[in-house]
Amino acid sequence: MWENRCKIAISGVGYSKATRSADIPLAAHALEAVRGAVADSGLKMEDIDGLATYPELPATGHAEVDGISVVSVNCMMAMLKLPNLTWHIQVGTTNIGGAVQQATNALLAGVCKYAVIWRAMHNPRGTYQNLPGNMAAGASQFTGPYGFGGPGQGMAVAYTRWLEKNHQTRDKMATLAVTQRKHTQHNPHAYFYGTELTREDYFASRMVAYPFCLFDCDIPVQGAVAIVLTAADRARDLKPAPAYLAGYGQRLHFETAGRIGSLSSYMEGGSSSAKLTWERSGFTPKDVDVAQIYDGFSASVIYGLESYGFCKEGEALDFIQDGRIELDGELPLNTFGGSLGTGRIHGLWHIIEGALQASGRAGSRQVKDVNVSFVGASAPIVTGTTFIFVKEPY
Amino acid sequence: MSDWSKVTRPIPVPNEWTKPFWDAAKRESLELQRCQSCGFFQHPPFATCVQCVSVDLKFEPVRGKGTIYAYTIMYHTGDKRFASAVPYASIVVELDDAPGALMAGNLLGSEYTEAKVGRRVEVIFEKLNDDITLPQFRLAGE
Ligand SMILES: [Zn+2]
Repeated sequence: MWENRCKIAISGVGYSKATRSADIPLAAHALEAVRGAVADSGLKMEDIDGLATYPELPATGHAEVDGISVVSVNCMMAMLKLPNLTWHIQVGTTNIGGAVQQATNALLAGVCKYAVIWRAMHNPRGTYQNLPGNMAAGASQFTGPYGFGGPGQGMAVAYTRWLEKNHQTRDKMATLAVTQRKHTQHNPHAYFYGTELTREDYFASRMVAYPFCLFDCDIPVQGAVAIVLTAADRARDLKPAPAYLAGYGQRLHFETAGRIGSLSSYMEGGSSSAKLTWERSGFTPKDVDVAQIYDGFSASVIYGLESYGFCKEGEALDFIQDGRIELDGELPLNTFGGSLGTGRIHGLWHIIEGALQASGRAGSRQVKDVNVSFVGASAPIVTGTTFIFVKEPY
Repeated sequence: MSDWSKVTRPIPVPNEWTKPFWDAAKRESLELQRCQSCGFFQHPPFATCVQCVSVDLKFEPVRGKGTIYAYTIMYHTGDKRFASAVPYASIVVELDDAPGALMAGNLLGSEYTEAKVGRRVEVIFEKLNDDITLPQFRLAGE
């Protein structure tokens, strides 16, 4: 087991409004979320001495303008002018989960005391994947000419592979979309709060990239979320109950850029990250009381459930049936609605919910008797990270 | 059947790693990068063999028969260059001669609904301009 388990904790969390269009600069969303997290902890802005983020815009063909389409550490520094800042970082080989892990390491090293991590996501005008030009250079020269336009299709090919190899049907995915939308109705910060979804809606919805219909894809939004991460003994003196970090992992597998359709890249990415997390925390999938698994596209949940070890390969769509992922089910899943419910803010919201469930702060969607709370933040492929938060340090 | 006649395919830009692939395609031949140490064929081209890390890699011809490893049917019209062809099948093919090396393509000459994992396909060549010919796939007889 990891000697640093339960020495770091998530304290406050914060949200901006998630809007469909970019009416105000993204920096304002990020600021709102960061202020919210600091206030939730009962801290003052001048207490914050660490900053971390992952500022990528996953859309293509749109200019990256700091403060408008991304919010970098530099941008946040310029806004906050923190008098006691001692540490900051932006990560690249992992998504936002990597920023949380690097902040964990910085806190353990004693180079900062209260770190703020945010994820801000822009929704550009026009087509999200606005593929530029008449040329396909780099890795896209082997995919672009065939109309493989965006991440949706890259995910979709792995999904058909999984479905047909395992003799499964996409109809079973309706359970995920509908259950998560039900959970969303307990999360007032979510984009789809107040909008229900029925099985009939799922089956009637338009196809985007088969096997993905509209409700298999998270909706692009403009918004931000943030957390305060600090040492466990400091977190105990703050306003909210701490969610103790029991272990974490990151994917240790990468296949050649431009290799498409490979199911193994998801499965090995996820299992390598989860293995570290199980070993460091000392828990197994059977110990988990509630799970958040990244769902930018619905099929990510399949690869997560299987590669993290919650069920066997080929079984995930059966696993999610029969009420198992409901709030009172055997493995309540994406209890905040997931990205399918909140809108596309990437994995920090999954981490927030993992922490809220562990600290007993999830309100009307709180799962009963949670101690072990699992998070798979971002798709197991490429940028995957995993976490376990617990209520009781051990 | 998907109407490809009005589609503007982005033209591949060969680089130092990929030029032999495109040179071969122009001759209507399929050549993939092969490790001279362990014999593994890989695609897309890479700096080292993904199996044994050898840097001794050469392009060698492979036969154009294989199976559909995976596919997606595109319905979304966001990419205007391809909007006139929707719905269309983008497929991933595993060649008999190069297991593990996955190639992208479109399923041409059949309804998009014919795209299924495990279906037999064979390579055909689609000339884009004087420099670039694109390997493509159609259902194979056997
Ligand atoms: Zn080799």
